[in-house]
Amino acid sequence: MAGTTWLDRRGTQLGCRRAGWSAWLLLAPLLVWLGLFVLLPTILLVVTSFSHRDELGRVVYSFTTENYLRCFDPTWLSIFWNSILYALAATVICVIVGYPAAYTIGRAGPKNRRILLTLVMIPFWTSFLIRTYAWISILSQEGLANSLLLSAHIIPGPLSMMYTPFSIVLGLVYNYLPFMILPIYTSVEKLDNSLVEAAYDLGAGPLRAFSRVIIPLTQPGIAAGALLVFVPAIAMYAITTLMGGGSNPTIGEVIQNQFTRARNQPFGAALGVLLMLLFLVSFLVLGRKKNSSASSA
Amino acid sequence: MKTIRNLILTLVPIALVACGGGSQPSPSASTPSSSEEKKLNLFCWSEYIPQNVIDGFTRETGIKVAVENYSSNEEMLSKLLAGGGKYDLIQPSEYTIQALIKADQLHPLNQTALPNFVHIAPEFRNMSYDLGNKFSVPYMAGFVGICVNMDKVKTPVKGFLDVFTPAHKGRIVVLDDAREIVSWALEVEKLGLNSVNAENLKKIEPLLKKWLPLVKVYDSDSPKTSLKNGDVDLGVIWSGEAALLYQENKKFAFVLPSEGSHLFVDNLAIPKTSTHPQNAHLFINYILRPEVSKLISDAFPYYNPNLAARKLLSPEQLSNPASYPLAEDITRMETFTDLGKESASVDELVTQIKASGK
Amino acid sequence: MIDSAPLTREHFFRLPDGPRLVRWFCGSWTTLVFGFLYLPIILLVLFSFNESKSGFTWEGFTTKWYGELFQNRVLLHAFVNSLLIGLVSTILATVLGTLGAWMLYRYRFPVHRLMEAFIFVPMIMPEILMGVSLLVLFVILSLPLSYLTVIIAHVTFTFPFVLVGMQARLQGMDPSLEEAAMDLGATPRQAFFRVIFPYLMPAIASGALLAFSLSLDDYIVTVFVTGAESQTLPLKVFGMVRVGLNPQLNALSALGIVLTMILVFGSESLKPSNPREKP
Repeated sequence: MAGTTWLDRRGTQLGCRRAGWSAWLLLAPLLVWLGLFVLLPTILLVVTSFSHRDELGRVVYSFTTENYLRCFDPTWLSIFWNSILYALAATVICVIVGYPAAYTIGRAGPKNRRILLTLVMIPFWTSFLIRTYAWISILSQEGLANSLLLSAHIIPGPLSMMYTPFSIVLGLVYNYLPFMILPIYTSVEKLDNSLVEAAYDLGAGPLRAFSRVIIPLTQPGIAAGALLVFVPAIAMYAITTLMGGGSNPTIGEVIQNQFTRARNQPFGAALGVLLMLLFLVSFLVLGRKKNSSASSA
Repeated sequence: MKTIRNLILTLVPIALVACGGGSQPSPSASTPSSSEEKKLNLFCWSEYIPQNVIDGFTRETGIKVAVENYSSNEEMLSKLLAGGGKYDLIQPSEYTIQALIKADQLHPLNQTALPNFVHIAPEFRNMSYDLGNKFSVPYMAGFVGICVNMDKVKTPVKGFLDVFTPAHKGRIVVLDDAREIVSWALEVEKLGLNSVNAENLKKIEPLLKKWLPLVKVYDSDSPKTSLKNGDVDLGVIWSGEAALLYQENKKFAFVLPSEGSHLFVDNLAIPKTSTHPQNAHLFINYILRPEVSKLISDAFPYYNPNLAARKLLSPEQLSNPASYPLAEDITRMETFTDLGKESASVDELVTQIKASGK
Repeated sequence: MIDSAPLTREHFFRLPDGPRLVRWFCGSWTTLVFGFLYLPIILLVLFSFNESKSGFTWEGFTTKWYGELFQNRVLLHAFVNSLLIGLVSTILATVLGTLGAWMLYRYRFPVHRLMEAFIFVPMIMPEILMGVSLLVLFVILSLPLSYLTVIIAHVTFTFPFVLVGMQARLQGMDPSLEEAAMDLGATPRQAFFRVIFPYLMPAIASGALLAFSLSLDDYIVTVFVTGAESQTLPLKVFGMVRVGLNPQLNALSALGIVLTMILVFGSESLKPSNPREKP
């Protein structure tokens, strides 16, 4: 059954063999890339976070922990929390909005599937700035949405939709929706028709068929989509600045500022390292829990 | 077919660019040639040096200009100081010039190679951040001032205190620059816009706590957007942005604050690591030519420090109150000095108030 | 008397049967979603024909922006750079992501968990940190800033998206698939290419699509690692905001969209319909 991990008697995942030398060879590209272009820059970053800076904002390599101590100021912690909340809201809405669409695309005929999938991505091959400014012109006080609503007499006066939490979440959802739809699509696409039909045949209404059968079967896709939206959304700053007007600073903006106006690269690095640590720790802890529950099943 | 036509039309420009674009120019008698290879690495603000100006330079001297852009002084600093790119010309603002001079990062200018420097207005020569113009030449200047949508705001607005009133709550746009915001508060409290220290920051904190909750939008890149869209009614923005708004619709009035504010001067300078300093001098001298400087003013309505070029401008350009405010108002404006490490405390103060003021 | 079912209220208000209701609901929801996705796009295409430069008020129909666009060497050069870099980095990222996901799924490596965690680092690392640290790395390695450095940077932050999507597809894959292929005499390599690879195709396709759009739109990381010749479109666009986004950009986007749609619909109609494909 999809969604469970197959384990053999010794508790290792079925189909998962011990790596021979040829496997190491094939893994080498990933290892080299991770080591050279991910690990090394991260080490550089950690070193920077423990350093001082000079007048120009350049890094002075002398050890200090002042940057990390500053991180635990309530100002930065509350901004951190704010960013997590926005990312969470965007992720949840993306799941709700994206799942039915991904389901439809995944269950469509083979030709239509491919066309629809590409159609989902095409808007995102235009420049991000142009798209966002188009949204600003839709949502602004003298913009399209207000003109339509006013002329249809639905509202008495123009609504202020821009530069609000609403516009921030809308911007985030708009830009991250494909990152939710595509992974869910890959899970839906491999759904066995007979399983779905069976769910209905057994007398389940659509609600139960979905909640008991279909959604659990597509759970890997949902989980992947949630990760691909939540993780980058926390550190995102361009959307929140443009759509939010900057009065709701996010952690991405703060880090950006440290490298630009505040000329404090080490502090920015420290904030970034903490952010990554937070994520890595949660990932490792949650991952271990999942493995242990799977092997006990 | 459209695809083929598009394909050809996109491939042809690449071929042109690859072949070095433009016809081979014959060096004019007035342009001295340099002994370096014919290349120039320009690192400048996006949309600040018009393409026709760059092309004109290449046509005249045969020197190919490779352009890289940045959208903030600090971005330029980061990349320059990291040592990745080899740049011949940069375009720092005045306080960045000061910082670069202090850190000994600039190539001294050879005044004899810049005969066109005489066209620069006297008040822009010998400025405090670079005495004697040893390292930099002014490019374009501008101000930070108050832009008002006259259709929406009927009361007179003369200074910061008129802007930050409860009547305008949620209808204000300001620059997303902590240093700028702090300087306005300092001016209102008559402390001097460059006197940034812990004591003064404490003094202006209550004022900022009153002001910032009234602000709807913080935007340094395009503050004109929210004004144009009617999401805000007035704001403290760059004069260039206000000038563009005025060009489109005269309902956007611009006024320099009575308390005084920032006069910024963007300059051309040569980094110490430059490999083509002679070519860089040629380019600077070319920019200083009145006809060339006029082309820049045509494209971007900032304040042109080149007196001879100003004489070539149209009355319409000169009558734009955001481009060329009254001379007596300009005397209230000051340039920024480099804050160095204090920039961090300024940024922290403003971020703190922004984050808590909900 | 014919024994017919009682005409209860339920009978009249009975909803259509399960699958049909689901189809109807999902279909209309998807239409709304596509409307949401394309609303700003339609607007920006419309404004590419707008006489007004600022693009907020309609001032008349014109095609002059398209004409101006084809004379804008700088913008076109940047656009071609973006496409080139996007294509190359997408191919590399897809290969890296697919290979990585398969290897991690298939074999038990000692540093397994740590590797998986590290793959997420480019996703969580704020872009400016990645840009600055990669710049410092390239300077240390004495790599000149150009197409190569930009491609390396783009692959680094896009391949995790491919890999994670791939893992979702692999999770819960029936392991007997590969076993069956090998029982029928296939070598592991043949089993991979004939059985696993086609199974992974949808994940490869979606991963590539995501990676391409991430690469096309990247600004911050690219600013720090690019040289002068490899300037991409976002670098030029972000600067234009100061003087107002030129409708030439709208024209460029509109052309890009039209081109892509022609390619997609064209290639689909040219492909022979495969009778063995799952309906």
